[in-house]
Amino acid sequence: MKRPTTGAAPGWRRIVFRYETLLVVLLVIEWLVFYRFGTSTNRRGIVVGFGTMERQFDILRHSCEIGLLALALTPVILTAGIDLSVASVLGFCAVVFGRLWHDAGLPVWCAAGATLLAGAAAGGVNALFIARFRLPPLIVTLGTYSLFRGLAEALTRGAVTYTDFPVGFLFLGQERWLGLPTQAWVFLVVALFIWTLVHRRMTGRVFRVIGFSPEGARYAGLAVGRTTALAYVMAGAIAALAALIYTARLGQAKADAAVGYELFAITAVVLGGTSIFGGRGTVPGTLLGIAVIAVLKNGLAALPAVIRLNAAEESAGLLTGMLLLVALALGAAPKLLSARRPRTPLPENLPIPKSP
Amino acid sequence: MKIPLLCLLFVSALAAAGAAEQKVVVAMMPKAKGNAYFISCKAGADIAAKELGAELLFDGPVDTNAAKQNEIVENWITLGVDVIAVAAENKESLSTALRKAQRQGIKVIAFDSDAAPDARSFFVNQATPEGIANTLADEAARLTGGEGEIAIITATLTASNQREWLKRIEPRLAEKYPRMKVVAVRPSDDLKDRAQSEATALMSAYPDLKLIMAICTPGVPGAAEAVKQAGKAGKVKVMGLGLPNENRRYVKEGVTDCVILWNTGDLGYLTAYTAVKLVTGELKPGATSFKAGSLGEKRVVGDNVLLGEPFIFTRDNSDRFNF
Amino acid sequence: MRRRELAVAGVLAVLLLVLALRAPSFFQGQPLRSLLTREAPVLVMACGMTVVILTRQIDISVGSQFSVCSVAAGLLAAHGWPIGAVIPFAVFLGFFLGAVNGALVAGLGLPSIVVTLATMVTLRQGLNLVQQGEFVNLPDRVQWFGLEQTPGQWSVLAIALAVLAGSAFALHSFAAGRHFYAVGSDAEAARLAGIRPRRVTFAAFAGMGALCGLAAVMNIVQSPQVQPLAGAGLELKAIAAVVVGGVAISGGRGSVWGGAIGLLLLACIPSALTHLRIEAYWEKAIQGGIILLACATEIARPRAKKSPPAKAAAA
Repeated sequence: MKRPTTGAAPGWRRIVFRYETLLVVLLVIEWLVFYRFGTSTNRRGIVVGFGTMERQFDILRHSCEIGLLALALTPVILTAGIDLSVASVLGFCAVVFGRLWHDAGLPVWCAAGATLLAGAAAGGVNALFIARFRLPPLIVTLGTYSLFRGLAEALTRGAVTYTDFPVGFLFLGQERWLGLPTQAWVFLVVALFIWTLVHRRMTGRVFRVIGFSPEGARYAGLAVGRTTALAYVMAGAIAALAALIYTARLGQAKADAAVGYELFAITAVVLGGTSIFGGRGTVPGTLLGIAVIAVLKNGLAALPAVIRLNAAEESAGLLTGMLLLVALALGAAPKLLSARRPRTPLPENLPIPKSP
Repeated sequence: MKIPLLCLLFVSALAAAGAAEQKVVVAMMPKAKGNAYFISCKAGADIAAKELGAELLFDGPVDTNAAKQNEIVENWITLGVDVIAVAAENKESLSTALRKAQRQGIKVIAFDSDAAPDARSFFVNQATPEGIANTLADEAARLTGGEGEIAIITATLTASNQREWLKRIEPRLAEKYPRMKVVAVRPSDDLKDRAQSEATALMSAYPDLKLIMAICTPGVPGAAEAVKQAGKAGKVKVMGLGLPNENRRYVKEGVTDCVILWNTGDLGYLTAYTAVKLVTGELKPGATSFKAGSLGEKRVVGDNVLLGEPFIFTRDNSDRFNF
Repeated sequence: MRRRELAVAGVLAVLLLVLALRAPSFFQGQPLRSLLTREAPVLVMACGMTVVILTRQIDISVGSQFSVCSVAAGLLAAHGWPIGAVIPFAVFLGFFLGAVNGALVAGLGLPSIVVTLATMVTLRQGLNLVQQGEFVNLPDRVQWFGLEQTPGQWSVLAIALAVLAGSAFALHSFAAGRHFYAVGSDAEAARLAGIRPRRVTFAAFAGMGALCGLAAVMNIVQSPQVQPLAGAGLELKAIAAVVVGGVAISGGRGSVWGGAIGLLLLACIPSALTHLRIEAYWEKAIQGGIILLACATEIARPRAKKSPPAKAAAA
């Protein structure tokens, strides 16, 4: 559970002591436990529960939207920012999509394209305040969190639910393509894109530099404003994509789409080892964070004890919260041991100034 | 797809051998399980399950959420329950999952609020949205003498059952009681405290307000508390959909004038009974009535199993109900 | 920051002026007093939140702490505990919950937003698991601390104002109060100046928790039932009020008065919309707009006055 502090450690140690390795181990343990205790044969003689293929596909399908939001948040958090508005943008985009397709009569794929632009524009509002005016992301996105959800409600007067989408569009959310749920492919493409951006491009390095020190990045001549803006605009566009998938999965677009998803997404990113202070984090970590949460949530719902309690959702929430605390505490342990004493010792001969 | 085929084979084989000894598993899903309405549904369903020797799963979202309902149904499908009974938050989105369940040989019924007719075998019908809306509108008219300003407090602006009722209350009033006017519709987020604040603001903004109608269960006690604190008990009437235990205090004090409710315990009982009898084959599509344990003979109209008329809970009969 | 408080007070004044012209019914004694009494618990929480944010931390678990304290206090009262015993219990329970956050943040040096995200989810789901959303019915003598309604309302308001004035005075005039500002501005400099930043941070969270407990009692005395869901979303309301009121999220800048004005503004909006006959559908959008607007007043601030670069990073 120690992170390598120097590059001098032998290669195997660098792999074994990586945070991601811990997550993989955790994921495997989770999976095995649920497979062992959550699978059974019902009275019709069919294997049911966690061990079925169907169930594994369900996990994939149910975690795609939160997964996309978590991917969108990874670059944002790398820049030491935060975006509380992603789920509200998702709701807003779902409504925009419904309106464009149903009320404005656009063909479904045009409406989808326009929705992606709307999402990017919504992200652009965040970007304007955060990157251009340099206001704190927490406050700005707290404002847009209300604003976009409110616009979604105002646009539909809370009442309109758009349904009856064409079968071709629903394919995106309800069917399989090449063996996997369709949206899983979309998710993989986005994951690959973000991974490339964060780990294989200069932009990824700039994200991290901004996260460590925006002033430093500015002095180094990096495009701080533009790169920060990119992270938020991208988050908006990905939230719009998630809105399309959400709409296709449920077959309905409504102003309350994905209420509360931002918390799960942030949890996944942080559980994945990304530092909320910015600068440190990986995309594979985020992916593992999502997987750990998704398997936990779905697996618990297959355990007989939890089923009898009728409390799958609560126990999943409870365990996710505690898991996050444990992960944080474990992550802090080595740092705490080494940093027990303050870095600059207080000057011993000088009297401590008394506060007036 | 081999699985449904295999599943069919197994079912027929087992049926032939008469080996179905394990308990029938009934999975029942409320719109929101924290809601007192559904908690008392569960109590009724538990009794029915015990009588029939079935196992009852009762799970749903903590607060109304169409997406979570879908996920829970899909979990149940892979869990291989025998019958699923749902109160659908959103017809369209849940029905896809329910059809999938039916394809896997799981029986599906709906209660409280219906799914698409082809996605379930029966609907245990406590009241149609029209029935609820008309009762609410008629009671409001009775309390106000058919004229004056009224305000409505809802759960959230997006909750679908609330929309269904609102959509029908306003035309009913316009048509039958043209001198009544809905001046405001305010959300309460299903929070009693928020309903109280909203009702306070409504009373001061509309001094001629004659009645507050709360169409979500936490809204009725919230509005009643506001009216009581404003000292306007009797002047501003309070009514709505709710449960006796949450409102008894206010009804007795004369703050709340009437609460419309179904015997939710019976609704749960009837739902669980219908579910089990559907699995055991004692209730078949096309039946016109069936015997539902202690509730006696219940009418079946088309594919609707009817619970009966709603109760109107007032000061006079407040001690007859304990749920 | 003076300037921000004035700006927010200006927005509030405009809103009140519009109300005075268009809907004078807003200013009736009893409904207005009820509105303020209903917001009094949130004011107490906003005071605590101001201190937490001043120390450059954040606590998003306050809504869950509030709910847990409400239900626990309600259950005890329902079991016959006198209200005089319930109050210290709720405050102590809140203190304990806050202390857990404080220990994790100050003791282990973990990021507060993540720690409190985790405790928020854990407490809320734990409460759901135990209580399943059922109301707690309270005995009659609990309401208004056993007083009549009007003195009861005044006493709730008096507690809130006492907390507000007390925390304003303590933050401004006690050395210990100014430590919060010092730690929020620069923890390392504060340490070198002889302040113990960890203790200060811990105190901020534990105090926040205790205030949540107090707020929970102030809320349950206002009606004869406790709804476990009560408090959902309060964290956002408290944080929004504080930052609208000009407390800098980057720490060390702002006052509880600003938080109080911010809360007053946010609390008036739903009621004002009702009085102005504006449909409820716009409410969330308007609230979001006001938060952004309050932020935007920062834009006009000259850059040179900005806090040093390290602080901007932490925001």
